[in-house]
Amino acid sequence: MPSADESPRSGVAQAAGLWNRRLHWYTGLYFLFFLWLFSFTGLVLNHPKWTFADFWPARKQSTFERAIQPPPSGSDLVQAKDVMRQTGIEGETEWTKLRSNPNRFEFRVSRPGHIVEVAADFERSRATVHRIDVNAWGAMRMLHLFTGAPAAEPRNQRDWVLTTVWALSMDALSVGLIVMVLTSAYMWWPQRRKRALGLAALGAGIVSCGLFVFVLRWLF
Amino acid sequence: MQKRIYTLIRDLHLYLGLFCAPFILVFAGSAILFVHSWAAPEGEAASPRTITGVVAPGNLASLAGRARVDALRGVLDRLGVQGEVGFITHMVARHRLLIPVSVPGRETMVEINTETGAATVESRNTGIRDALVKLHKAPGPHLADIRMNWFPMRAWQWFADGTVYLLFFLSFSGIYLWAVLRGERRVGLALIAAGACSFLGIAYAICR
Repeated sequence: MPSADESPRSGVAQAAGLWNRRLHWYTGLYFLFFLWLFSFTGLVLNHPKWTFADFWPARKQSTFERAIQPPPSGSDLVQAKDVMRQTGIEGETEWTKLRSNPNRFEFRVSRPGHIVEVAADFERSRATVHRIDVNAWGAMRMLHLFTGAPAAEPRNQRDWVLTTVWALSMDALSVGLIVMVLTSAYMWWPQRRKRALGLAALGAGIVSCGLFVFVLRWLF
Repeated sequence: MQKRIYTLIRDLHLYLGLFCAPFILVFAGSAILFVHSWAAPEGEAASPRTITGVVAPGNLASLAGRARVDALRGVLDRLGVQGEVGFITHMVARHRLLIPVSVPGRETMVEINTETGAATVESRNTGIRDALVKLHKAPGPHLADIRMNWFPMRAWQWFADGTVYLLFFLSFSGIYLWAVLRGERRVGLALIAAGACSFLGIAYAICR
């Protein structure tokens, strides 16, 4: 039901208003846990001196060597996937070094909570695996950053299906937040008594945010 | 009493939500840019300026971190360069000082020859997309000793932190406002459960 201070609306507009409200509630409730994770980890990333979330000193490391069959010829990714299958490793592949010797192959596999450095020697048919496990703080922080395709490193492309799923979740949350903003504006605008104060709040947000996004580079 | 609390929370939810809406749009939009590595194209570079007679502080080699940034701030001001100073490279043997300075949407590289006193200032406009990505990442976990050395970026940190605190308030107040609506409880609970299951399921599959 529209409140008393809302503008009179037609039946279609009322139905649109109701479904707009529902879209706002439902989107917010569905994405609650995603939002809390990214908000909290964003805050922690911005405050590296908060010692309670300092996960790196508490990391656990282990190294083992395993016999492998040299992988069939193919791209670096194909060979890395073969070595990973043989050593029982799953995750997103990262290229850490340029490959100068075709019999030596080093790469990193990461997933939130775990980083695995693999050094394979095809001549000796051995792979040395150095594994780093971090605690829940580290895993949460890695979840925030886990896109699998850092812009600064075009050689690294997303190659693990779960990275793609997580990236789609990030996209969905972003779109969900944009939907929340638009639906809130649609809910607020017909409430005449709240327009002035709402405009002041929105205007203050636009001015302060716009200052950083658009204006700083013109001022300085 | 309960109605007054409800009205107060509803109004705060509305007005604080409207205030932080532009910040939410910036973070949400830039997150999509990040996820897909849609890096900003190389911006246009302005012609480099050369200035002579630049005197770098004499004790620069003995300074590190924030102290080095602060010592060079006056030099940058005299060169007309303002912004957030990044990691400074001091090649003592080659008498070269490289100072990256950034403002959201523009990057400047200042190179000073400490022997001859000649400085080259080269700026590049990197555009809105780069500005959004930079702001999303600021302050971030890196270069903790020197970052936020320019007041506007320090102010951005307050707004970025404030956005997170407001998001927590908006989500908790949103839950309260929804819980009051009895007719929407069943669907809402189902959606919270679906969201929790998909979040925990994906996070478990990735992290296990």
